[in-house]
Amino acid sequence: MSDEIRRLRLPLDVEEIRSLRAGEMVLLSGDIILTAGLPTHKRIEEYLDAGRELPLDLHGQTLFHLGSYSRDAADGGLEVLYINPTTSTRFNGYMPRFIRHFGLRMVGGKGGLDAASAAAMKEVGCVYLSFVGGGSPLLSDAVKGVVSVHWPDLIAHFRLVKLRVEDLGPLTVGIDAHGNSLYDSLQQQAAERMPEIMAGLAARRAATTP
Amino acid sequence: MAITYELMKSITAQLYDWSLKKVPDDTKDALRRAEAAETNPLAKRTLGILLRSAEMAEQSERLVCSDSGVPVYFVQLGTGVRIEGDIKQAIKDGFDHLVETISPPILKHVTNPLTNERSYRGKDMPLVTWDVLSGADYIDITCQPKALGSGRWAALEIFTSPSLEQIEAFVMDCVLKAGSQHCPPVVMGVGIGGSFDHCTKLAKLATLRPLGSVNPEPILAAMEARLTEATNKTGFGPMGTGGDTTTLGVHIEYAAGHGFTPVAVCFNCWINRRTRARVYNDGRIERVE
Repeated sequence: MSDEIRRLRLPLDVEEIRSLRAGEMVLLSGDIILTAGLPTHKRIEEYLDAGRELPLDLHGQTLFHLGSYSRDAADGGLEVLYINPTTSTRFNGYMPRFIRHFGLRMVGGKGGLDAASAAAMKEVGCVYLSFVGGGSPLLSDAVKGVVSVHWPDLIAHFRLVKLRVEDLGPLTVGIDAHGNSLYDSLQQQAAERMPEIMAGLAARRAATTP
Repeated sequence: MAITYELMKSITAQLYDWSLKKVPDDTKDALRRAEAAETNPLAKRTLGILLRSAEMAEQSERLVCSDSGVPVYFVQLGTGVRIEGDIKQAIKDGFDHLVETISPPILKHVTNPLTNERSYRGKDMPLVTWDVLSGADYIDITCQPKALGSGRWAALEIFTSPSLEQIEAFVMDCVLKAGSQHCPPVVMGVGIGGSFDHCTKLAKLATLRPLGSVNPEPILAAMEARLTEATNKTGFGPMGTGGDTTTLGVHIEYAAGHGFTPVAVCFNCWINRRTRARVYNDGRIERVE
């Protein structure tokens, strides 16, 4: 891993996305789209099924699994008090279709996505970014403005939100656009190590159990 | 003098508020030690980011995590305490008051499991475990908000007279299943024995122990050490993106049972939310953690 943290400005073209490698850290600037809601994913899917247009354009954009606290600001606009990632794997069932349909360039959250999503990401040129869980103060300071908040009938963290950010991160490329997934490779590595780990436990049991 | 409804209401709400903004000192120390020891550069850097986030939250009284969880309390009533008023209702009312007054405001996480609707209130909320402390003239209250991120990966299995090997294999199976998902490095709690309900409670209580503490039972002290080492050998690492630090510590508690031996495993994410205070008959409040 290089010590340099790459600074990226959105929107990014496919070549730039494909130049990112799993395990690399980045800082993001520009406009990002986010939601932490399962009902939100369900609604996006219903819109796709019905051929309806979403209230904001997701094509070539980001869709991050981040929760946010948005509310009406005193000046009549909107404010976002804080953001933070949520577990992405519970959206596994939705993501391959969204990634392909919208040609998403970046997805992310925490915990990664499954192999079906990684395959879709490789196909269209998309990366998964890992946000640190419990990174709310750090991540929230990068929010420089609220572009739009959609579907206010949903609770705050389920809304579809577009934010302007400056140097959001550091974020880790968890899955790159070449099919490399830290999550899959670590799971595989742990499974491969398990016989040795269990043998180690047995040896220590034999040595330490009174 | 006595411990009043008002005192109980305000201290339980305060404990919740504090727990969202401060990572416990023992946990920060453990994260610093892990950062120094990490051989994986990405993991070392990730631990540094986690620590920076913890420091920022503490200094500016902000939420470490936007998921403030659901309110979970462990209350131990000293047999020497005098009580004035409905202290059970006080915990409920304290949480309602907190929701209205906390800054920054918290999101709706209390979920009706039958409809998946979310709000700030729900059946049996806050979740309180009541216990009795022999001889004490205080009430000991621990607040440990719990959220899906790490809560999702807890598991229980019931064995028949298991060997230590079987118990440890089950724990490692849970570690493998949780993988990169539970915001590691995690604190792990393991309960062995008792009954179905008692065993899970033991696992939860084990997560409340300070990091570095060791079970006084030699069999378990040795098991804690080897399961900590084994878990860290899996390589999932901080935030599950690889490294030497998957757990900050495995804590185990046990109880006698009847040959059908439940084994429960649960996880706390790296922020390891936990605050604790004692309130005395004379109205004094002692902040323990």
